[in-house]
Amino acid sequence: MLFHTWVFGVFFLVFYPVYLAVKGTRLRDYWLLLSSYVFYGWWNPLYLLLISYSTVVDYFVVLRMAKSRHRKLWLALAVSNNLCLLATFKYAGFVTENLNALLAAMGGQYVIPVPNWLLPVGISFYTFQSMSYTIDCYRRRIQAEPRFVRFATFVSLFPQLVAGPIQRASNLLPQLQQEQKITLADVTDGLSLFLVGLFKKVALADYLALYVDKVYGAPGHYQGPALLLATAAFGWQIYFDFSGYTDMARGIARTMGYKLMLNFNHPYLAEGLGDFWSRWHISLSSWFKDYVYIPMGGNREGQLKTYRNMCLTMLISGVWHGATWMFVIWGALHALGRVFTRELEKTAFWMESVPKFVKQMLVYAFVTFAWIFFRARSMGDARVIISRIFSPQWVDPAFPLLAAMLVLMVWLYQHLYESRARWALQLAPVKVGLATCMILYLAMMVGSSDRPFIYFQF
Amino acid sequence: MTSSVQAPEKTPVLSREEALYGSVEMPLSVRQWIWAAAVVLLVLTGLPVAGKRRETFRPDPDYRVPYEMSSDYWLFERYSRLAASESKTLVVGDSVVWGEYVPADETLSHYLAALAGEKKFANLGLDGMYPVAQAGLLEQYGEGISNSRVILHFNPLWMASREHDLREGKEFRFNHPQLLPQFSREIPAYKASFADRLEIVAERLLPFRPWVRHWRWECLGGADLARWTLAHPYASPISAVVKSAEGDAPVRRANLSWKERGATVQDFPWVELGESPQWRAFRDSVEMLRRQGDTVLVVVGPFNEYMLTPRSREGYRRVVSEVGKWLQETGVLYFVPPSLPSEYYADASHPLSEGYAMLGREILASEAFARLLQPTTEKSTQGTNR
Repeated sequence: MLFHTWVFGVFFLVFYPVYLAVKGTRLRDYWLLLSSYVFYGWWNPLYLLLISYSTVVDYFVVLRMAKSRHRKLWLALAVSNNLCLLATFKYAGFVTENLNALLAAMGGQYVIPVPNWLLPVGISFYTFQSMSYTIDCYRRRIQAEPRFVRFATFVSLFPQLVAGPIQRASNLLPQLQQEQKITLADVTDGLSLFLVGLFKKVALADYLALYVDKVYGAPGHYQGPALLLATAAFGWQIYFDFSGYTDMARGIARTMGYKLMLNFNHPYLAEGLGDFWSRWHISLSSWFKDYVYIPMGGNREGQLKTYRNMCLTMLISGVWHGATWMFVIWGALHALGRVFTRELEKTAFWMESVPKFVKQMLVYAFVTFAWIFFRARSMGDARVIISRIFSPQWVDPAFPLLAAMLVLMVWLYQHLYESRARWALQLAPVKVGLATCMILYLAMMVGSSDRPFIYFQF
Repeated sequence: MTSSVQAPEKTPVLSREEALYGSVEMPLSVRQWIWAAAVVLLVLTGLPVAGKRRETFRPDPDYRVPYEMSSDYWLFERYSRLAASESKTLVVGDSVVWGEYVPADETLSHYLAALAGEKKFANLGLDGMYPVAQAGLLEQYGEGISNSRVILHFNPLWMASREHDLREGKEFRFNHPQLLPQFSREIPAYKASFADRLEIVAERLLPFRPWVRHWRWECLGGADLARWTLAHPYASPISAVVKSAEGDAPVRRANLSWKERGATVQDFPWVELGESPQWRAFRDSVEMLRRQGDTVLVVVGPFNEYMLTPRSREGYRRVVSEVGKWLQETGVLYFVPPSLPSEYYADASHPLSEGYAMLGREILASEAFARLLQPTTEKSTQGTNR
């Protein structure tokens, strides 16, 4: 069930009045859980088996952990259970294919059958959310949730279930534990977030996708200008797509009285790669920081180990996105980029002499370049794209001017939002004007859209 | 030479509250939402009216909705209202009425007007229409067809087989899915997903959508803005006018008889009307028109009987007989014209120009048509079958 479809609209129309009626009662958790499972099972009811299994195991393991002297053992059991789920459904095919390639290279005749299992939507998100709960309980940062239904609701709460933001138990569980008070501001803020998210997804991301899909579908048919623009367009497409989803998720949750964490904060205005990762997919970046980077030692054990930890974290982040070598390369590029820019940011020249705008442009260029490996279908395609971008031969890219103008307007809006002139965007006529334009654009200019979100595949 | 320096403390862009729970970049208060909603409503209700005024629509006597705009139901509604207001006799039907193989000035409505000596017949045929969709068209967009004389064409082709009758379970490519019943009645061959059906129903609830679709046909050739700019990357969508509602549709197919096309004799099995969704929908259309105060004359066929095997011809005659029986029982004027000469057919159901001329003459000479012209009180309930 996608947020920007009529099916979700009907689902929410049924869900919300009942939710308002039961939010002050014990039925609330049951209703939330039931609705979340309907929402998730709409894709494929079989997915419910997996999420139920993961939920049951984590719930009971944490309860046992609280009473056990072998806490680490229970932690290991819960974490490995979740990692096994991911390994089975997400990485088994990738590992088998590579093993087969290795066997073939060594002259082996045997071919291991490649499993072709369906990747359950959102598995990377809810397993990570569940793992964070287990680890935080182990670290005694939070208390184990005694009510199963509430814990299951925390794992599966439908606005954030399939693509985040990956919630920390310390943020969401207390909200689920207390009686929900929904103010009028919650509803209007939720609507505002939803509208912005819907516009980002349907009017911008899906628009750019038309050009990106065309060019990246057959990169050999295009020259440098089109490939360059398609790469830049993909950078914006994935931003609009994912942040649009997040905005809608946060908006829906807000109308229900829940505050989900911020996931994107104008990442293309970042002045360094570290800054970029503190603005892009914040819930995942902070997850990796708290549960991978810092446990490995973080920056506490000298420069070399800091860089090792940084690189490993980025590589794991790459693999989290998908089971292909392209994602590994993407992660590796960001790892190297982070090491390099960390050094660069220590220099007086970079800090004092390079204008902010130039820094932003350099970061943007690097991130955009790295997207090539994220989007290209194969290494061969990526090679073609890079070689043609850097040996330009002018052929009209036929990139829609309107799309370029829309992106430019968003970019200017974000600059203004982060400047001292932010007050101008908070003026009532500006906000009403923008909201009106967005609604009218969606009502009149956009075709029917049921294109799934990019991050659902992760 | 570079030296190591401490990065200066930056003022965080977001407050702690914002960083934890996320900022709302464009928070609108209740009052601001009301303002936005009011402006949107004003624009969406005003634009169709303004568009109608701006867009000159003076269809010539042989006007028919252009082929490319067959799904522009707003245009159909506008044209049908206009034609009804000019006291024209409205000729309603599928591509047989529209004139699949002939130019606009050789269609049935043209010949009816030419032979009657007055330009009082309007071609309300739509390409790709079939009875189930036509019932939807009349229900959703046919409000303007009221207190008028209507010649409703019945094309027996839609009952020639279970597939034509939309009863085959296998997937069938549908024209005009927006006009079909989505949840109220089952059409076995219509396999749209729940999501698609829901989208169609939801669109029906948005009164401005037909105009938006019309505007897109007019300016963007039917595409949405994104797809249009992909094809015209540097053009301005504001100034673009791809298709004028007043433009005539060119002849789509060559003026050849069915034999010249190489069509062969068919053994259509014909369906039982009692279970036919198409027949049921056709009856609904007739009753709907009558409820709206229209006087309806149903013209049945004429189907190309030369293209049928003897056995199939029997089936066809049974269908026509049952159709006539129902029309007679319900008191609807009807006329079953005799078969046209074989060479006047382009295929199983579409006449060529000479066929339309002959059919026009037959209709005008029929007793049923004479009754159609009579004032309401004088009409009897009898049809004719010559």
